[in-house]
This record gives sequence, structure tokens and C-alpha cells, in this order.
Amino acid sequence: MAILETVKVSFTYPDQLLPALNQVSFSVEPGEFIVICGPSGSGKSTLLRMVKQEIAPYGERSGEIFYNGKKLTEYEPVKIAKEIGMVFQDPENQIVMDRVFEELIFGLENIGMPTETMRTKLAEMVHFFGINHLLDKKIHLLSGGQKQIVNLASVLLMEPRILLLDEPTAQLDPVAAKDFLHMVKQMNDEFGITVLIVEHRLEEVFPLADRVFVFDHGSLKISGPPKDVIAKVWQEQYRPLFPYLPSTALLYLEHADNLQIADIPLTVKEGRKWASQLKTHQSDTSFKKQENYNEKQNPILQVKNIYFQYEKTGKKILQSLSLTINEGEWLTIVGANGTGKSTLLKVMAGLESPQRGKLIYNGKKYSKPISTDIAYLPQNPKLLFIQDTVRGELIETAQQFHLENYEEKINCLVELLGIQSILDRHPYDVSGGEMQKSALACVLLPQPKILLLDEPTKGLDPEMKVALGKWLKSMQSRGLTIVMVTHDIEFAARFSDRSAMMFQGEITVTTSTKDFFKGNAFYTTVVNRMTRDGNIPEVVTVEEAEEKWGSQKIKN
Amino acid sequence: MDNGFRSLHPFVIFLYYVLAIAMIMLYQHPFFLTFACLLLVIFNFALDQGKMLKKWVSMMIVLSLLFLILTPLTNHRGNHVLFYLFNSAITLEALIQGLLNALTLIAILTLTITFNYCMTADKFLFLFSKWMPKWSLLAMLSVRFVPLLNRRIVEIITVQKGKGLSVTSGPLKQRVKHGLLLVQVLLTWSLEDGIQTADSMSARAYGLQKRTKYTPYKLHMNDGFMILILTGLTGTGIFGWWLGDGVLTLTPFLEPTILYGREWVFFTIYVLIIGFPLIVEGKEAIQWQYWKR
Repeated sequence: MAILETVKVSFTYPDQLLPALNQVSFSVEPGEFIVICGPSGSGKSTLLRMVKQEIAPYGERSGEIFYNGKKLTEYEPVKIAKEIGMVFQDPENQIVMDRVFEELIFGLENIGMPTETMRTKLAEMVHFFGINHLLDKKIHLLSGGQKQIVNLASVLLMEPRILLLDEPTAQLDPVAAKDFLHMVKQMNDEFGITVLIVEHRLEEVFPLADRVFVFDHGSLKISGPPKDVIAKVWQEQYRPLFPYLPSTALLYLEHADNLQIADIPLTVKEGRKWASQLKTHQSDTSFKKQENYNEKQNPILQVKNIYFQYEKTGKKILQSLSLTINEGEWLTIVGANGTGKSTLLKVMAGLESPQRGKLIYNGKKYSKPISTDIAYLPQNPKLLFIQDTVRGELIETAQQFHLENYEEKINCLVELLGIQSILDRHPYDVSGGEMQKSALACVLLPQPKILLLDEPTKGLDPEMKVALGKWLKSMQSRGLTIVMVTHDIEFAARFSDRSAMMFQGEITVTTSTKDFFKGNAFYTTVVNRMTRDGNIPEVVTVEEAEEKWGSQKIKN
Repeated sequence: MDNGFRSLHPFVIFLYYVLAIAMIMLYQHPFFLTFACLLLVIFNFALDQGKMLKKWVSMMIVLSLLFLILTPLTNHRGNHVLFYLFNSAITLEALIQGLLNALTLIAILTLTITFNYCMTADKFLFLFSKWMPKWSLLAMLSVRFVPLLNRRIVEIITVQKGKGLSVTSGPLKQRVKHGLLLVQVLLTWSLEDGIQTADSMSARAYGLQKRTKYTPYKLHMNDGFMILILTGLTGTGIFGWWLGDGVLTLTPFLEPTILYGREWVFFTIYVLIIGFPLIVEGKEAIQWQYWKR
């Protein structure tokens, strides 16, 4: 019997014409691992919230949801709250308590469990998750990944039968995301917990999934085993969903001659197996297209021998760091958590002043923010907004910088970004991508020469990422210099010109993005790991493969 | 894990503080108070080598000097006139009264400094959660919010500095205006995120039925024994105070400061109460020494 079944579930938010969910019917067997994907606003989160009754959105609803053959509403609220658990996107905001221990037992206290039972359960769970050393810590001192693990553990302590996860790794770095997803998979494998996960990191979750649900505009478009879904999306030329396919599969689909569903690679291992059979007519094409990167090298911003620490006795964040940024380039800085990437951006923006070292912009030293020339977009764009509407915010920013005929400039920028429709809405009420764009509009209004971006792709869906990348690329061609700090290797590989690696407060390597990723053994894209050391030209992205392999059709 | 005095049940710790403060307030005698101060300073050192005490020491000296000087200037009762200042008598009794006030202040301050260290917020909340479960949960939530909001405002200030909204430079009126704007950002942001926290609470069955409270502390035999000793000693101590021992009579006749007869008995009890944590710590240290051999 299905553990969860929905029958023609529809939902419309108040004052909305179109339904957020439209006649969604599916059933989930116990122990299944279901991945739900689709563009933002396609109703994925709404669906999870409909299943999780306590936080069901308010609006017009129809259809029925069954849990173990009985309507959800017929169960006792406590039982259902206990048996259907949910982990949300933001690691920080889900936390209620100050310390890990209190957070873990919060749910158990809510369901009225006696102290002794709590102790036993906690002992088990702490052992299983290996978080004994965190128990007495204050939660805000943990990393994002650890916080999310705590959130997962505190939900699992209530022994749910179904686990709902709403983009749980969107705010995490790739390593932490991988750890988290493996933990979820382990719970699924070893305890048979049914998992419904909304996720954008498809490279990671597709290999784990039993079935994939593809949502678009509120309806369930395609469902089935991952490989079938990929084949279907491809065969039906369902373009809007292409960015959602894992790049291993995309590479295969674009270059394989006779498509076999069973052959679609989901993991790098499978991908390498396929790639090893490939043959090219030319052994090496890399000389054909010389990188035209070295043409102009005009340093616009120089960081010289910077030392920085937040507290006198604290850890040194930046140590004798030097970096040169050339005019018109897109530089990516990557590196593990806590290596000081974000701090470096803040220093470059003039927001934090280094203890030692020099910052030179256009030949002149500076130590204060020069927002008209160097724009900084923080990781959390919410911090930028002061006014009630996006329009108000833009006008306020223009006045702040005493811009002349600013209305024209605003209109021009708004059109470029395509955010006309959200101008009169509150900046917090728009989607993640739109908020990012509104923030970009604000910082780009004074027409700066340099744009500093801190994790611009965090929380964006694949489609928005591509759109953002393309847009930034077009701004770059208009003369904007971009410096970006990111964990998103795939994004960096696809769009940036030069990459630098940060380690222990220093820049270790700086080189062109393609060489950078080809030189890395571990810290590189999935496609590169797939095509490395084969008898085909090594590539970093699907686009590069198209460029290098495309002209000559590869025979299997 | 805590050890020594801090490993006792929160109720015992709380009881000690209540009783010790009571004893300090009751036994207004320079000899008693001096010893209380001495014991409490040692207690401070036993806990953290006097680190916290050092932060407060200058304030304590200033305050006690103030008491010492101001009391004789405002209080003129007493038979032993030392000298006249601006036509008013400075009496020995008033001087002693000032000394008593100063010593009481020092004793209570040194005691409260250790309070935060021994009686952490969660222990305190645990004690009162039995009677006020809703309030204690609210307090727990607020405990997290104070540092959270602090971290957020720092972040906002940094980011907004880039937009030219500074709270550290410019005319005062503008700075105030900017400050208010930043607080507004903080509030909108926090309220927005607070909705998610509320969702996460209700997703974990909050508010569906009566909550239980995890009790991290168990009342052991040892704790019960400590409670008996403490209340017994204090009971005797209060009896002594009722008899008039251990209180220096200032008016109508000044009593000699030297203790006599029965007062020594009550002094011993007094020392045992105030020095209670030291005894516990000492006992543990001795046991440790023996165990090592």
C-alpha cells in the first residue's frame, strides 16, 4: 500500500489567478527516495507544505492527500506531525534554541516525551550522526553544514516515516551538501524512511533517486526512474528543463549516437565508462582555438600584501595576500569554507580596513568604500534593501549617490535586467532570482567599473543561474570587471575567465579558468572528471564539449 | 562537565546564594564581614583564578570608598566624636557604619560575580521552568535572539557602509536617521526570518499538546544531604542573630569589635555557610589527590 498518495490536489494562493498546484496525483511507496525538480515557482515547495499539514499554506484547495490509506485530516495532529518530518532550506532560520542539545530535544518535548526516553533516543541519534562533540556547543558557532545536520537530526529524533526536504542544501557549500545528502540517503537505505526531496543539485541527487518528479507550472509533468525522466525530457525537447538535467547526462545526450536509456550516465563513474569508448578523429584540438585571454592586461585593482584579522587576538584571516584584477575580466575566487574569501571581498570593497597592506584602484590608494566605482553585492541581498518597494530603493540609491537624470538610468537598468514587473513590490516578496536582480540593479546604478559578488548563485535554481551568468557576461562585454567568490564550480567554469584558489588566507593559484580546472584533480567540474585522461580532448563544461567535439560527430 | 560546587543540583547552588546573601545582610559585624569577603575572594580564585573578579575590582574599590566617605558625612549619630568637618560631627559610629556598608557591598558583589559562573542561564531557567513553563521557553528563545540580532546588525552596518549609510561619521542628525534605518532593516529582516522559525517550530509539533520539559539534573542523595546541612546551619545562624550575637551594636553604646564567648560558635557556623562552596571544592580536590595515589 502506498504510504503517501495525492489525488487531484490543486491549490491556489489568495488573490492569484493561476493555481500553484494543478490536479497533482501521484503515489509513493514506503521506502522510496523521490526527487522533485522543476523551475522556481512550479509548486514544489507548495506541494511539500500541503503534505506537511501544520504549515500548509492558506488558500483555496481541492483534492485529497492520503497517508497510509487514510486522509491526512483524519489523523490525530500530533501523530501526523511526528510521522511526517520536514527540513527546510535555510540552516539558520529553522533553529529555535541556543544550544545543540536543546535544539535536538525541542521536538521531543513538544510531543510530551518523558526525560528518560528522551535521553535514550538522543544517545542513539547522537551516536549515529557522530555529533557528540557538538552537543554542548552554541549553534551559531557551527558551520552551515553542521547546522543543517543538527536540523536533520532533530527531525529524525521524532522518528518520522516520511521525510520532506525543501532544498536542504541550497545554502551549503558542495562538500557539506554532499555529506548532508549522503546522510539522508543512509537514513533511506538503512531505516527505510520515505524521502521526498526538492533539490537543485541534480548531479548529487539523481544517482540517489528511485523516482524523479518533474514539476512545471504547478503540474506534475514527468515522473519515473531518473534515466527514463532524462530520456523523456530530451526526446520531447522539453527545453525549459534542460538546465535541470545533470551535466553527465547532458554530455551523453548531446554526443552519443544511438541513445540507450540504460546507458545514460548519472555518476562520474558511469560517465567515464561511456567516455572511454569515445574516439575522435583528431587527437588534440586544443591548439586550434587559442585562448584569446592574454590580449589585454590592464590592472584595474591591485591588492598588495594584505593582512587582516577581526580581533586583536583572533585568527589571521588574510595573510600577505596579493592579487591583481585586470580591467574587463571575470575573476572567480574559490576555496574551502573559512579561508577568508568573503573577507577578501569586503576588504576589496573598502568595508573592512586591513591591518597591513595596500589597496590600489586605478593607480590610487583607497581605504574607504568607493561605491561609485566598486560595487559590492553581499551574500544575502536582503541586507541592501531599506525602502518598501524596489522602485523606491532604486530612487533612494540614485539620490544617495547624487546621480543626474537618474530616472533614465534606472529605466535602462530595469529593462536590461527585465524586472519591470516587480518594481512596485516589496524587495522581500519577490523570488530569490528577482531579489538578486533587484540588488544588482541597486549596486550597478552608479555605473561602477568593478562588481564584487559574494556567492551570487546561492539558492538560485539552475535556470536562474544560467540567466544570471549570461546577463553578467553581457555586462562584462560592456566593460564591467567582475570579481566573484563562489562554491559553485560548475558556474565558475562556465562563465568566468580567470580563477584563483584561496587557502589559509592566501591566494595559491591564479590562472585561466579552463587551465585551472584542468589542473585540479579534485576541485573540478563533473564533466572534467568524466573526460579526464581519456582518448578524447579534455573538457570542463558541456558548452566547451560542444565547441571542441561538436564539429566532428563522435562515433561510438 | 562541571565539577566541584558547580556539579551540584541547581537547587542547592541557588539555595546557597540565597542563604549566603541572607547571612551577609544579617551579620552586620566588621569581623564577620571581613572574613566573608576573604572567603568569597578565595572562592572566586578557586573558580577561575580571579579573572572575573579582576574586571570588577576597580569598581568595587570606588564604590566602597564612596560608602566609607559618604556615610560619616551624612550620618552624625554616635557618642564618639572624632572631629568636626564644616560644623558637623564626624563620629566613630558613623565611620564603622560606613565600613560595614562597604564590606557588605564588597561581599555581595564578589558573591554575585560567582553567581553567573555557577548558576548559568540554563540552570536558572531549569529551576523556574517548573512553575512557569511558557515563560521559561520564551526566555530560552530570547537567549538565542540577543546575540543573533547583534550579529545581524553588525552585518547590516558593514553592508550599508558601502551604500554610504554610516552611523559613525557625518552630522548627528543624519547619523541618528541612518541608525534608525538600519534598525528598521534589522527588524524587517528578522521578522521575515522569524516566520521560518515559526514554521520549523510547528513542523516539530509545537503547540499541539502539553509540552514536557527535559530535566537534565537529578537530585542525588548527596544534594539532599547538602540541602539539610545548609538549612540546618543557617537556621542556627539566624537563631544566633536573633540572640543578638554577630551584630555590632553601634547605638546607644558602641560594642567592642572583639568577639567574646558564644559569638565564636556562631562565627564558626557563619564561616561554614559562606565557605560552603570552598568546602565542596576542597573535598573534591582531596579526593582527587587520594585517588591519584
